[in-house]
Amino acid sequence: MNASTTTPRSPAAPALRILRQRAVQAAAVVVLVSTACFAIVQSLPGDIAFRIAAGRYGYDQVTAASADTVRAELGLDRPAWQQLLDWLGELLALDLGTSLVTGTSVAGELGLYLSSSLQLAAAALALALAGGATVGALAGARPGGILDRITTLWVSAARALPPFLLGLVLILFFSVHLGVLPAAGHGEAGNIVLPAATLAVGLSGLFARVTRDTVVQIRRSEYVRFAATKGLGERLVFLRHVLRNTGVTLLSYVGVQLLILIEGVVVVESLFAWPGLGHSLVHAIFWRDIPMIQATALALALLVVALNTVVDLGALALDPRPRRREVVL
Amino acid sequence: MSMRLTHLAVRHTDTPLVEVSDLHFEPGRPVTIVGESGSGKSLLAHAIMGTLAAELTASGNLTMDGQSYDLADRANRRRLWGRAMSLLPQEPGLALDPTMRAREQVAEGAGSFTTDRRAARRSAGTLLASLGLGQASAAFPHALSGGMAQRVAFAAATIGDAPVLIADEPSKGLDQQARAELAKLLKRHVDAGGSLLTITHDLDLARELAGDVLVMKDAHIVERGPARRVLTEPAHPYTRRLLAAEPANWTRPCAHAGAPADAGEPLISGEGLAKAFAGQQLFSDLSLTIRAGERVSLSGPSGSGKTTLGNVLLRLLPPDTGYVHHAEALHGGRLQKLYQDPAVAFPSRILLRDSFGDVIRRHRLEPGRLGKLMASLRLAPDLLHRMPGQVSGGELQRLAIIRSMLLEPALVFADEPTSRLDLITQQETLSCLMDQADRQQCALVLVTHDDALADAVTRRRIPLGPAENAIDRVKTAG
Amino acid sequence: MTPVAARTLLAVLALFALAGPLVWPEHAVQDLSRFLEPPSLAEPLGRDPLGRSVVARLAHATQLSLLMAVLCVATALLVGTLAGIVAAWRGGWVDTVLHGLSEAFIALPALLVVLIFSALANGDLWTLYIGLALAQWVEYFRMVRSRSGLVLAGPAVEAAWMLKLGPAHVLRRHLWPELRPLLATMATFGIGSSILALSTLGFVGVGIRPPTPELGLMLTEAFPYYHEAPWMSLAPVLVLTTILIGLLSLRRKEVRP
Repeated sequence: MNASTTTPRSPAAPALRILRQRAVQAAAVVVLVSTACFAIVQSLPGDIAFRIAAGRYGYDQVTAASADTVRAELGLDRPAWQQLLDWLGELLALDLGTSLVTGTSVAGELGLYLSSSLQLAAAALALALAGGATVGALAGARPGGILDRITTLWVSAARALPPFLLGLVLILFFSVHLGVLPAAGHGEAGNIVLPAATLAVGLSGLFARVTRDTVVQIRRSEYVRFAATKGLGERLVFLRHVLRNTGVTLLSYVGVQLLILIEGVVVVESLFAWPGLGHSLVHAIFWRDIPMIQATALALALLVVALNTVVDLGALALDPRPRRREVVL
Repeated sequence: MSMRLTHLAVRHTDTPLVEVSDLHFEPGRPVTIVGESGSGKSLLAHAIMGTLAAELTASGNLTMDGQSYDLADRANRRRLWGRAMSLLPQEPGLALDPTMRAREQVAEGAGSFTTDRRAARRSAGTLLASLGLGQASAAFPHALSGGMAQRVAFAAATIGDAPVLIADEPSKGLDQQARAELAKLLKRHVDAGGSLLTITHDLDLARELAGDVLVMKDAHIVERGPARRVLTEPAHPYTRRLLAAEPANWTRPCAHAGAPADAGEPLISGEGLAKAFAGQQLFSDLSLTIRAGERVSLSGPSGSGKTTLGNVLLRLLPPDTGYVHHAEALHGGRLQKLYQDPAVAFPSRILLRDSFGDVIRRHRLEPGRLGKLMASLRLAPDLLHRMPGQVSGGELQRLAIIRSMLLEPALVFADEPTSRLDLITQQETLSCLMDQADRQQCALVLVTHDDALADAVTRRRIPLGPAENAIDRVKTAG
Repeated sequence: MTPVAARTLLAVLALFALAGPLVWPEHAVQDLSRFLEPPSLAEPLGRDPLGRSVVARLAHATQLSLLMAVLCVATALLVGTLAGIVAAWRGGWVDTVLHGLSEAFIALPALLVVLIFSALANGDLWTLYIGLALAQWVEYFRMVRSRSGLVLAGPAVEAAWMLKLGPAHVLRRHLWPELRPLLATMATFGIGSSILALSTLGFVGVGIRPPTPELGLMLTEAFPYYHEAPWMSLAPVLVLTTILIGLLSLRRKEVRP
């Protein structure tokens, strides 16, 4: 039996359920990332107290006495699990600590990184969706046509060219050979073009393929054929039935691709020295700046959860069908 | 408006799939084409509309309103769609856009939709209300029962006032009550002076629509005439066979065989059973006993909970209250189940040979028994070298019967085992099942939505009432 | 590209990865006098700024990438598949716990997991291995869990239980045939993305530490000399894209159903 539930309930109930599920997920992510960061601290060679003291007072001023003070103050002589609970407790109190490298408050810098990462991700996503969905819809309207074959080629090419290679190619071409666009930096309008384009080229290929396949499949569906025999013109059938249903599929696919987008952001930021979360994370890992690693990794992971929540709510608005309990990837 | 078809043919490369020399439709007189699946009857409908699949070619001529159309050109009738001729699709559940409200989908069919959307929506609302769907007009398709979706599709197909309505297997997946409503709707279109062509394998629907009946077999029309004559005094042997295969006409003596209800020892006893599903009480305080050698049917419309009750009795599903007891005689695989779709009852990517081999090895059966059973059910031995998906539904269901009989069960539970089969195949399959059950003296519980079938096969019937407040009925039980 | 051509291409690369380090064993020997030596017969890809043999480094790097990728994918596949089957089969608290864990992992970009792990020790191989495997198990787990859930709840398995065919039959005839093609496709892509992740880490400087040769690292080191010695940059790029294209073309049917 596959009856679907239609027990009357308030229209907000599914939205609340999504928010609750995602909140639990966010909490689990925080615990996981934070515990991993704690493990890094424990595994670091040398005396942790000494390193923290060095972070506070600078390597020149640090003495054995100051390291001892830190050890007593932070309870570093207690068993590991007690320290882990403390560590998580601090996070719960929204205390992200100070950077071991710059000595400034991590929370203060995080906002800046987050906003520039968001800028980059949004620009890339907008570019990829606009380009990919348009080309995909056009290719799907004529399966087997020239545009369709070009799309197929582009998809394969985009998959075989990982972001960092693609970025290098773009730098070589636009910055080194043509000299029209800046290869690195932030703050000027032109700076965002190359990193966003690097991300968008890869993503748009995926979006184009999914859009194309979905359009082809939906155009063959019973409801599109019925809409046509009802007497609705070809253009209206496309606008009213094909597009909306493609949107439903594409949106949930965007949700799946968010991970790839965020991974891409990390790589591209490092490549183009874009001062966002990914760039700072890589830097922090290089310098073993643990408070910074934790903060940026948390921000990136929570960003994925937040964006997924937005996608879920969007899908809920577009598609009235009762949700299956989980999307099968 | 009358419509005439001449020299209609549909081909796939060089294989003729439909060949009909002359067909005539009068306003006010329904035409019904009956025949088994694969006879080409649905292709006929699509050839008329111009909606054949791309790999098929049509030829012939359609005359309508003094205008002549070449059937080979599939685009020339597009402007007639919805205005002069209209198609009521199979399985309305799939033909409605899942993301659009019912009224909007109906309004799209109105002639005024491109010029005045508000007026189109108003008339859609009025039409839906007149079909008893006033409340459902704002609903999305997933919230509609099969019968309601059928009515919405009917409204969408007829709102454009097309005089010719073609209904392609419209009763597929509907229970008896929903089918009666459908027949009423179709007759309403005829009474309003429209022409109606119905394609169906459902002889009851053909009877209810009256008018003319055409019997189709292997791409040709073998018999035609008024429904009253063709469906009572058939002239062609095929029509006779078709009619004899209706459960109500079965004459097999085994139809009422089986032990009387109170003779055998109890195999399954259920006490005070209740089950709710999706917020809806399917049954409550139900007690029943199934005894050795008995023939029992669980019948009722879709959504009445007959499959659920079956699964509770088989202890595949826990009841909300009450308990189910199984006798010793059922242990060790002597309780078997047959499924509505046999294709999903076998592991789908494994050769049938291996599926059966596992049963034989596991229970140390004599390997020759499989061959004997297959021969007695008229199944070719090389069927075993195929995947389940490569065997026809009727043959696969017979293989499933064999599989269940290998373990010499004391009770076989058959859940709508023939609802996806043609009348003739249904009769063949069920007579195989009854033969085997007789031979092994095993009890049989048959779940069916078809009262005539229940009467033909079983002595005792456990009717399950239509579920109250059934907003969303289960759509699986065809 | 046809699957046959893809297989040939991958076989050639595998041969290079396996036999290359034997033919050109000395990847660490520096000879500053042979600074940026152009390609010759003996040194098909010339020498790098430290005078090391580029072809020897490339062979070792390819071997490292392929071995690591296969090892990580095998581990992730094994762990994820077993956990997925156990979760779907047992249900109850086992499923709740495993599913909850996967919910947290699915929100973590794989690269993030690997990055965090690479911080655990100074780019040691084992941390990268654990990080990559840990980042990928969840894909297999989720696919296997949901597929197995469907199969185990389906009529075919129900019939198998009623026929008393036992769990071995269900595993062998129902679950495995259903999972195998999907696992093969996922593993193919998984190897590709593992190789990519490794080279990405090397490229941004937090992966395998120099002087161990690694494709991404080699690219970073060669890029400043792009004008003087373009072959040095192009060689690792060529190896990377060949592997990726080969892997993608292997599974064309599943990619474009």
